[in-house]
Amino acid sequence: MMFDHRLILLATPRQIGVLDWRPGRMHWLGEFAATEAGLAAFRAVVARHAQLPVLLVADTVDEDYRSEILPHVQGHARNELLARKLKQVFRNARFTGAWRQTRETTGRRDDRYLLAALTDADWLTPWLSVLHRERIPLCGITPLALACQHLLARLRPQEPHTLLAYRLDSRLRLSYYHDGLLRFSRLIGSDTPTQLPGNAADEIAKTQLYLTGQRILPREARLQVLLLDPSGQLDSAQAQLNADPAFSTRLVDMQSLGRALRIPDNFLAATPAIAPLAAIAGEPVQLNLAPPELLQRHTEFRWRRGLHAIAGTIALVGLGITAAYWLHAQDLNDQTRQMAQQQQQLDARYQAIARTFPVQAATPEQLAQTVSLSRHLAGQPNVTALLVAVSQALDASPGIVLENFVWADDTLKPTGNVTITLDAALIPFDGNYRAAMQRIEHFMQTLRTVPSLHDVRLRTSPVNADSSSTLTGKTLSGNSSADPVARFSIELGYREATP
Amino acid sequence: MTRPPFAVLKLSLILVLAALLLAGIGVMWSRQQALGAQAARLQQQAALNAARQQLDRSRQQQRLIDTHLAEYQTLAGRGFVGAEDRLAWIEAVQLANREVGLAGLEYRLTPRAATDPTLAQGLPLGQTAMVLTMPLLVETDLPRFLAALKARAPGIFRVHGCRLSRLGSASFEAVNQPRLQAECELLWFTVTPATGSVQ
Repeated sequence: MMFDHRLILLATPRQIGVLDWRPGRMHWLGEFAATEAGLAAFRAVVARHAQLPVLLVADTVDEDYRSEILPHVQGHARNELLARKLKQVFRNARFTGAWRQTRETTGRRDDRYLLAALTDADWLTPWLSVLHRERIPLCGITPLALACQHLLARLRPQEPHTLLAYRLDSRLRLSYYHDGLLRFSRLIGSDTPTQLPGNAADEIAKTQLYLTGQRILPREARLQVLLLDPSGQLDSAQAQLNADPAFSTRLVDMQSLGRALRIPDNFLAATPAIAPLAAIAGEPVQLNLAPPELLQRHTEFRWRRGLHAIAGTIALVGLGITAAYWLHAQDLNDQTRQMAQQQQQLDARYQAIARTFPVQAATPEQLAQTVSLSRHLAGQPNVTALLVAVSQALDASPGIVLENFVWADDTLKPTGNVTITLDAALIPFDGNYRAAMQRIEHFMQTLRTVPSLHDVRLRTSPVNADSSSTLTGKTLSGNSSADPVARFSIELGYREATP
Repeated sequence: MTRPPFAVLKLSLILVLAALLLAGIGVMWSRQQALGAQAARLQQQAALNAARQQLDRSRQQQRLIDTHLAEYQTLAGRGFVGAEDRLAWIEAVQLANREVGLAGLEYRLTPRAATDPTLAQGLPLGQTAMVLTMPLLVETDLPRFLAALKARAPGIFRVHGCRLSRLGSASFEAVNQPRLQAECELLWFTVTPATGSVQ
């Protein structure tokens, strides 16, 4: 909002008034007569506000307005077209301007322009010289009628054709607006006897005739007249105008104006000239009569202000990012500190536990492993049970004499088990190997019936009848004194029965 | 506002550059601070995790010690943990032999050897083979002897295998003479940990 702070000057051939304006706040800095003393005082005031842009609102009799319909062109072509047109219409006037108000909706859809000029602006030169010397950024020169357009917008007129009669400093300004846009304005100076209500009404009627004659105002149009006079001298003109059906008159009192502009009544009553200035202060300048060379300072000012805004934005963004990173870093540092405290607590608890550990040659894991291993090693098949299992089978098989009994325990190996080897002989044996084999087979069947014995197989038999081997022997007579022997060997597995 | 009037905007341009420079320096500095803080936090997080694991491990170790220390100390007292005590083994064998009432026995101890790594599971487990040869009156003398030896064994042993065979081919007579011979291989196991302390 600080960028909208500006000075609004209301310049007339007699004097210049200065309004210090910013959104929601304004201050009237005074009026200065067009004298040496007034210029010096004006210079002192603007020098104190040299950093602010200035909008000059000109209120003079020597002004001219012309409505033109021109082809719709843009860019450089439009600038050239308007320059030629202004030169053609206003010849050598220095302060000219064009405002593209609207575009026709039919035909070629041409643009409608309002051309304006200060036909005699010599009186303005001393004020502009002061601004130039003080290097004030002048943002524009605009006629008071345009300021009144913004004032009119605040008053919300009901009719499309509006004539604003604004009396200020004994001068009457009559401005015609169509659909809220300025089309024509004229100032009736103080030498004209407008003090009389009848004269003001006459001037308004003459203006209406002129507008109609120039086809600016349609003949059948009803003109709404807004009477605005801080001194109240136009009040009596209302009755005279209302008698004419071509007019509808509305008197704007200062209270309504103050409410519309949001200006305190007493402030507005003390300085009624601020009303149009306050209305145009926050608005863009649509009709600028200042030649480009006078706007150079403002161009520089805008560039400078833009660059300062960029610099400020960069600084703010940089500051914001820096702050965000810094806060993030602080947050991380806090987390790190909290974790460090947690670590210290954990370390302390660990130390407390470690102090309770006994001094041992082995680690706790080795300690547990050693105990587990000892249990594993101590678990071995019961020898008595093993002998009993084999004895059960031997007791059930008479005539078999055990010669060697061997067992080996490989249960410590993952796939190991207990294996038993029995070397035995058949006693008595009569040389009948077929019968002997049947007895051995019966013995093996008996072994298999014992639950803890398994995988019973014959390793060696009394006689090897395999076709691939040599078989020797002798048969015995019935009275032979030598005892025949039938030895064999059996291998089997042992699995301790689970209880 | 077409072409910028550079000549009168020097100060403003310098201001923009200064703002850019300061903003850049500020952003880089603070970013560096944030990165440093992030790295420190990660490092501290790792240290905290390590401390947590160390504490968890110490608790597990404490539980292991509470559960197994007494039994371990008993094993150490019996001779399973520590250097092998061959004299104690021989004495135990002799005492068991005498207790069972056997005629006598012969023993032979082989050098200590490392056991199968699958069985040892990383422990410094060694085994020493002891071969016993002894005459028996009856077969049941063997389990009685082994039970007596187990009862007084200064350590842990396993019977790896036994051979029972008859002495001679004479027929059975009821005399107090040993007719059987047993030859058994016993494996004495010992764990010899390196010196140190629990951590």
